[in-house]
Amino acid sequence: MTLIAPPRARPRGPSASLLDRFGHAVVRVFEPPFRALQRILGVRRMPYVFLLPNAVFFGLFVFLPIGINLVYSVTGGTALFPSQRPYVGPEQYAYLLDCGSYLDPSTCREDHFWRGVANTLKFTVFQMVAMVLFSLLAALALNRPIRGRGFFRAVFFFPVLLSPVVVALIWKWILQRDGLLNAAVTSLGGQKILFFVDPSWAMFWSVFVSVWAHMGFYTLILLAGLQAIPRDIYEAAEMDGTRPWRVLTRITLPLLWPNLLVVLVLVLIRSVQVFDEVFVLTGGGPGTATQMIVQYIYTTAFANQVQNFGLAAAASVLLGAVLFVLTLLQLFLTRRRAA
Amino acid sequence: MAGLELKAVRKDFGPVSVIKGVDLSIADGELVVFVGPSGCGKSTLLRMIAGLETVSDGAIRIEGADVTHMPASDRGLAMVFQSYALYPHMSVYANMAFALENMGVAKPEIAKRVQRAAAMLRLTDYLDRKPGALSGGQRQRVAIGRAIVRDPKIFLFDEPLSNLDAELRVATRKELAALHAEIGGTMIYVTHDQVEAMTLADRIVVLNGGRIEQVGAPLDLYNRPDNLFVAGFIGSPRMNLLPATMDASGALLLAGRALAGAPRGLAPAGERLTLGVRPEHVEACAEAEADLVAQVDLVERLGGETFVYGAAPGDLALTIRLDGQTAVARRESLPVRFSRSHLHVFDQTGQARRPDIPARS
Repeated sequence: MTLIAPPRARPRGPSASLLDRFGHAVVRVFEPPFRALQRILGVRRMPYVFLLPNAVFFGLFVFLPIGINLVYSVTGGTALFPSQRPYVGPEQYAYLLDCGSYLDPSTCREDHFWRGVANTLKFTVFQMVAMVLFSLLAALALNRPIRGRGFFRAVFFFPVLLSPVVVALIWKWILQRDGLLNAAVTSLGGQKILFFVDPSWAMFWSVFVSVWAHMGFYTLILLAGLQAIPRDIYEAAEMDGTRPWRVLTRITLPLLWPNLLVVLVLVLIRSVQVFDEVFVLTGGGPGTATQMIVQYIYTTAFANQVQNFGLAAAASVLLGAVLFVLTLLQLFLTRRRAA
Repeated sequence: MAGLELKAVRKDFGPVSVIKGVDLSIADGELVVFVGPSGCGKSTLLRMIAGLETVSDGAIRIEGADVTHMPASDRGLAMVFQSYALYPHMSVYANMAFALENMGVAKPEIAKRVQRAAAMLRLTDYLDRKPGALSGGQRQRVAIGRAIVRDPKIFLFDEPLSNLDAELRVATRKELAALHAEIGGTMIYVTHDQVEAMTLADRIVVLNGGRIEQVGAPLDLYNRPDNLFVAGFIGSPRMNLLPATMDASGALLLAGRALAGAPRGLAPAGERLTLGVRPEHVEACAEAEADLVAQVDLVERLGGETFVYGAAPGDLALTIRLDGQTAVARRESLPVRFSRSHLHVFDQTGQARRPDIPARS
């Protein structure tokens, strides 16, 4: 068995496209060294050669930073270089986890961290409910033979393509004191609403903007699930005299449940990681009303006057542990579904 | 159970007409089979009766009541789908009970009906299983059970055996026939398999290109096909169809020779006709008595019978059914004679010409 196949005839004549010629030129350059490598390493080891570039990049930009982060989390001081930072052991973790009651952030030594945890939890719960509900409604609507279905599918998916910062800026222009929404409210004779001053409004719009920006992606997952349900099952239900609500609750939702589970876990993971949209939209305010964990990490490490890399690193390790568990859950659900 | 009436029923998909005006009456308790080649509209017609397809024109009546525009869920019919269409997340019991729950039937009554149907279909041991844990034949029986428990006005079967292997198909076919004899409901059964049609039906409806070609009892269709399509479609192997003419004296000419003893004067002199004769009505004979001499191309020995495929001069393709033990070999010449009482004659338009149907001038 040879992994590297013998070269094909070089493309000639007017029918050979520029891309073909380029491809063959690349093959001509790379083929000799790879053939030599194959002779030295043997066919069975060649896949590792092809995996190496990605492994190097992944190691450099993912595993190395994770390692450095762990080092920072067990060292103290304000120095940037790890070699200049004194080892403090689990001190940063102990500081973060030192609470009178985990249900009351004000009893914690690092109350900003726990306010971030509480805000993230609140955001996650609201976001999960709203995201799953609206994605499901959108998917159910888009699965029906409505006029302009292709257009609406594109409309729902379009915000997913936008950068989170762009999304947040668009909505900031709409929601700020002199924004479009307040212009509409005042033109109808109402009073301006200070959306980013009221903590409840700030949290509401954080969730709303996040749902608006991402629901297209989850709608697509649910739509794929809906389209995988055979049409004749619905016809059988119709012949069985099933009313629409019962079709939804007894046929559609149970058959869509694997997709719904995946959506739930993905939304959960994303919600726990939320940062950019909310940070650009509200700056974490008013006060710390919309400051999430990731914003706490960012501020502690880079934005505060005293840059506490160690504490921020410890907080990100804790967040990483939570995300790791959630990812395992997602993998478990996805694999069970594939099986 | 109930009768069904179709009045000039049409179905158009945009400019394409799929059902082109069908009139049909089905009596209470009858088992009627819609048969025809792929694309003839038989499944579409069944789905229109079910209420799963809208009707472009015409009317459908069940028990005399117009249901043309009534939703499927309100028609009180039950359908067995080709793919079974079982609810994969529900147990066999739940699949069978679902329609009864929709109807608001009390739980003890549901249990009684499901248990009765399960016993009838030998499913009692599988009631807790999901459809995924059943064989194809068991799934098909669940689909039938789901229909039975509802005690519907009419049972509709859409090619229910086509996903089963040959052996299971024969076994399930027998079970369906026994089931019809036992519960006696009105049943409409769609198939492209004419053996299923012949063995199951009280009456067969042969469809072609969205129109009914002929309606009748299986042996009526076999013995007295109204046209070339039915003659060719019903019967396996298919009927031999040979070009013939009628001479001035009214005798039937085949390959330029008059067929002595054949029906006379069925068509105007000189009209091009088609002579039909089934393979079992062609018999080997002495060369002096032969109507044709076939050159044998292929011999299929099935044990109890032998099929011989050959060609006679004039490029006339012939299929002959002989006794299973007949000694005949490829490339042999085989003189054959047609049974005179089983000849079918069709005119240029493909319509049957029989002594009871006068010839057109």
